[in-house]
Amino acid sequence: MSDQHPPLYHQVVDFLMHEAALLDDGRFQEWFELLAEDIVYQIPVRTTRDREAGRGFSQQAWHMNETWGTLKTRVARLATKAAWAEDPPTRTRHFVTNIRVRPGDEENEVRVTSNVLVLRHQGDSPSAQFLSGERHDVLRRENGRWWLARRLVLLDQTTLGTHNLAIFI
Amino acid sequence: MPGMDGQSEIERLLDEMERSLEQGLIPARIFNDPEIHRLELEWLFARAWVFVGHETEIPRPGDYCLRYIGQDPFIFVRDEAGSVRVLFNACRHRGVQVCRAERGNASHFRCVYHGWTYTNSGELVGIPAAEEAYRGFDKSAWGLLPAPHVASIHGLVFAALDPQAPPFEEFLGGMKWYLDLLFGLTEEGMEVIGEPHRWILEANWKIAADNFAGDDYHTLYLHKSMWDVNVFQVPARANMMGYHVQAGNGHTISFSMAPDPNEPGPTFWGYPPEIVARFRPDRVTPEQYELARRSRVSVGTIFPNLSFLTVPLTADPDRIPPTTFMTIRQWQPKGPDRMEIWSWALMWEGVSPEFRERSYQACMASFSPSGIFEQDDTVPWPLATRTAGTFFFGRRNEMLNYQMGLSTGTAQPVTDWPGPGVAYSPRYEEGVQRHFYRRWLEYMRAR
Repeated sequence: MSDQHPPLYHQVVDFLMHEAALLDDGRFQEWFELLAEDIVYQIPVRTTRDREAGRGFSQQAWHMNETWGTLKTRVARLATKAAWAEDPPTRTRHFVTNIRVRPGDEENEVRVTSNVLVLRHQGDSPSAQFLSGERHDVLRRENGRWWLARRLVLLDQTTLGTHNLAIFI
Repeated sequence: MPGMDGQSEIERLLDEMERSLEQGLIPARIFNDPEIHRLELEWLFARAWVFVGHETEIPRPGDYCLRYIGQDPFIFVRDEAGSVRVLFNACRHRGVQVCRAERGNASHFRCVYHGWTYTNSGELVGIPAAEEAYRGFDKSAWGLLPAPHVASIHGLVFAALDPQAPPFEEFLGGMKWYLDLLFGLTEEGMEVIGEPHRWILEANWKIAADNFAGDDYHTLYLHKSMWDVNVFQVPARANMMGYHVQAGNGHTISFSMAPDPNEPGPTFWGYPPEIVARFRPDRVTPEQYELARRSRVSVGTIFPNLSFLTVPLTADPDRIPPTTFMTIRQWQPKGPDRMEIWSWALMWEGVSPEFRERSYQACMASFSPSGIFEQDDTVPWPLATRTAGTFFFGRRNEMLNYQMGLSTGTAQPVTDWPGPGVAYSPRYEEGVQRHFYRRWLEYMRAR
């Protein structure tokens, strides 16, 4: 492995680990700068369904269904002095595992599937809130770096066990 | 536990609250007490009319969703004949839930334990090995138990578990007049978009019902960042102009309205002309239509635990104009210090798919688990609940202040209010919350 051209898989892992660190460090503006301007960022609502009815992800209802502009609003609002939901901040820890990289639809894109576990601590509670799910990402190589162009988060919870989604998954 | 006079501590607390409420004082304890919670399930949620779902969530025969009245599980289902049913979700044999998917379509519900099978109207029609095990058994007496009363208004379906419950119209009282102008302006009415959001908050359910009953005051501080990032066009102070209405029977509504009826700001909650064109003035009275026209924001609580909000907001102020949405949300009690929030987005049937989607986006971006408005509410509500559970404050029956507009401030009764109930203006006033708690006390003290 050459330092300048690490294998594709390592580049993807490095991107995802860097991204997770930015989120856990509360560096949301820097995180936002990883996003392609045509990003689609989605977390569908899930319900428990009979096995034959599928996995229960809604086609119409979303916890988040974001564009670059709506994510910009969220990041701008977190930067205000009155974003009480995250001030004091909750402490998140993103664990990203089971990473699989496949060719994308475009030559400069890859499809990346991973598992994500987010632990979230608030205030003086020693108990964590948990969110877990599956990420389906598209990463794009452009201007000498990787960009997040698409993220679909398929959560395991139907009723969210966290007081809000003032965080990004 | 019973005191020397035979009255329990909680009964004394409620007696005392009956008096203190008139001075705008509410004991914090009611927001976090295991006995109050237990009594609420028994005396309030098992007796009042409680929201179950919207008819458009189950459009076809066999469509069903699981719902809760208090903490009791029900199947909200449209039967083969097209009637909406609210059936207790438990097999009559051993009490096992016969439906375990949260939604779907089914002609029958079958218990997994012994296979007793019910139609989607609740009749027991199948028992395995019936000849050997149940010869001579009267199946007709062992159907799924229906909620004793089911009724709807503008597609919103409510049920009452008390056979003695008053008729639904009587329960709604003056609130019907306001629901007509909110939900009844078009021929087709409103429909639910997709599945509701559900999430857990470590807070007492009444704090949320109280907030939506007309706590506009908190928007000035808690939600300040909404104006910092420009998602709402009416300035914060100007938005306090308008009316608080005690509609009767604990139901309340708050209208943001400019003092000048011809003010150029949002009318009809900011709906664009192509949607306003769908509104039919003849479906309501001229007074109702005029209130709808002047409304910038409407928010309120249908006692006990269904709230609504309609307001124009944007998810992306640089690119998307403020877009009106309607959300209804149910504050489900899950314990003295825990609720489950259910939140639905509604839109008028027949609007363009583009507007419908933009409206959903505006709703999700502001009022949902990820909503930047609602995120901030999830901070103080658990903290107030925690205080209510303390010994120093909660157990000593320290009082919380609900005196705004009663002995303080500028709000005055409106003498020429065109609708039912009692109205105050401007919205610096907590009579709406006191109205909610007066009704709550009536249920809790009616033992």
